[in-house]
Amino acid sequence: MILPLLPLSHVFLGLTAIAWKASARATLIAALIIDTVLLGVALSPAGHWLSEASVGGWVDAIGIRLALDSLARDLLLLTVLLELAVVIYIWRRHVLPTFVILLQFLIGSVMALVLSQDLFNIYVILELLTLVSFLLVAYDRQTLQIWASLKYLILASAGMSIFLLGVAVVYANVGSLGFAAIGQAVLADPQAGWIPLAAALLVAGVSVKAGILTFSLWLPDAHSTAPAAISALLSGLVIKMGVVVLIRLAAIFPLGLVLQILGAITGIGGAIYAMSSRDLKQMLAFHTLSQIGYLLIGMSAATHDAANGVLAYALAHGSFKALLFLAAGTVHDTTGSTDIDHMIHARHQIPLRTRAALLLGTLAIMGLPPFDGYIAKAPLLAAAHGWANQIILLLFGIGTAASFWKLLPLFRGPYRRVGEDSAWQSYVILALPIVLFLPIERALFGTAFSLPVMNGFIAVESLGVVGIGWLVYRIHRRIQARPPMSLFRLETATVAILVGFAAIYALLKFA
Amino acid sequence: MGWLNGTTIAMILFAIGTTALIIRRDLVIKLLALGLINSSGILFLISIRFRPQMVAPILPVAPGVPIADPLPQALVLSAIVINFAILALSLVFVMLLVERYHSTDCERIEHAVESERETLGNQRPLDSSRTSQPRRDPR
Repeated sequence: MILPLLPLSHVFLGLTAIAWKASARATLIAALIIDTVLLGVALSPAGHWLSEASVGGWVDAIGIRLALDSLARDLLLLTVLLELAVVIYIWRRHVLPTFVILLQFLIGSVMALVLSQDLFNIYVILELLTLVSFLLVAYDRQTLQIWASLKYLILASAGMSIFLLGVAVVYANVGSLGFAAIGQAVLADPQAGWIPLAAALLVAGVSVKAGILTFSLWLPDAHSTAPAAISALLSGLVIKMGVVVLIRLAAIFPLGLVLQILGAITGIGGAIYAMSSRDLKQMLAFHTLSQIGYLLIGMSAATHDAANGVLAYALAHGSFKALLFLAAGTVHDTTGSTDIDHMIHARHQIPLRTRAALLLGTLAIMGLPPFDGYIAKAPLLAAAHGWANQIILLLFGIGTAASFWKLLPLFRGPYRRVGEDSAWQSYVILALPIVLFLPIERALFGTAFSLPVMNGFIAVESLGVVGIGWLVYRIHRRIQARPPMSLFRLETATVAILVGFAAIYALLKFA
Repeated sequence: MGWLNGTTIAMILFAIGTTALIIRRDLVIKLLALGLINSSGILFLISIRFRPQMVAPILPVAPGVPIADPLPQALVLSAIVINFAILALSLVFVMLLVERYHSTDCERIEHAVESERETLGNQRPLDSSRTSQPRRDPR
């Protein structure tokens, strides 16, 4: 019964911080120690005996089952990594106990979600994540943040209602909410009439939380206005929770085509908006969308290698996106703005370590060897079958490179020592997986999996993608076209969720 | 009136809720619509395994009487609590918005937020310790 301790320890520490405010900072350290020890036990070969647990001791059909599979291991590793980086980042800053409490609840619910094996538990934890991240996004109580997080809450809550309808349809037809039982029921009768409806409701509901266009139109505002440490956690970690649920659903329902189409729309749409964004944090938020596209395309391939590629890319994206967001926070602190033109103009005020962190993150997200963006993308490129997937992945790469080329002037001189970046240790923590990704990947997924990295064709291809990205960037700068921002309004976003649900249902029913 | 059961009422409530969420501009009405959508989910979950003549699953039950499935009723309790929390928190945030803009009209708030974003993008104050500090509006 060690497994439930992983999320529960955070809840207890959060409650300790509520009861005894002076201990708030100490609970962060305690949480890190507990997580490291538990994760170490879980990842070691001796940890197999704690790979499953049933909370409260009920039978599997109605109990809350937790399991530590490869997906959970991968994301728990990411969770602890980002937790460490964020704790270091906020350590020297003035933080109120409430912030620490919410942080503990956020990380605790993330851990509970990756371990969950039944639909209703997932519904409850997704709602908990919504509530906690809603409070954290608007932590500074600036008006932009309040409006962004209110939009987020309304849309996420509506999405979760759709998810709950899906849960009800599943329960009515299967009589159980555990993934194992649902999978058996679907296998027993793959043509049953309830399957398209249940799958469409569940996928549409969770897509609102997973950063998928056209469901997650709240994301750019919420992720770009939140405090930097929170943006890093939301983009690096919390958005993956929707993806985790989608991975679990894709193992049950036949979602290949739906995921491919959603992935293409998400990746290309996110990249187009990112290219024309003039604000660093907003651009990073749009890029969260485009990188979720990679994960969806990988999931739609439904092979073993592609599934491992998705996990590896989730880990890689978490590390470099968190690094970029944390560095963007320091840029905001030193220059007073994250506007890209202003930033480039005032680049001599940005500490050198921050600029180095931004450079490393940019190289990693562009997919240049030997950083983790490339190492994680290579298996995805190798596993994606069919010309359609290959072209979609190439377009994602070009879009990513094109939008990050505009940061290039930031890395020109002069290189004078200005100010200290109090958070450079957290950049080092996040830079470790970016630089040393190959051994981590081999340890997690085995040696055969990382072979595509050595493939010369894929290496040349990713260099070519970055080159074409530069051309696209130059052309786009000449044209100055900007896609409409009115898409991200509350009403449009609500309509988009409903239309998206109808489209998914039609696809599952008739295709 | 056999069609007028819990499931169809839940569908109707969901339709009313989403329509109101889309076409009404008042933020408070939008939140009420959200409450309606959430309640429709709860009603749907409760009524989906219910048949007429079933009794509530509270012991003791007379033998031979069909009992309603207790699991959805247990699940619904958590859903109700969650929806209460969401509604309460979002109303607090609407109050914060009303304090600043003196309006609950979505269009007007959206315009005001947009213009605030523009001014922030052009001239942001140089202030190095703001990342995690709460900013209370003096008003």
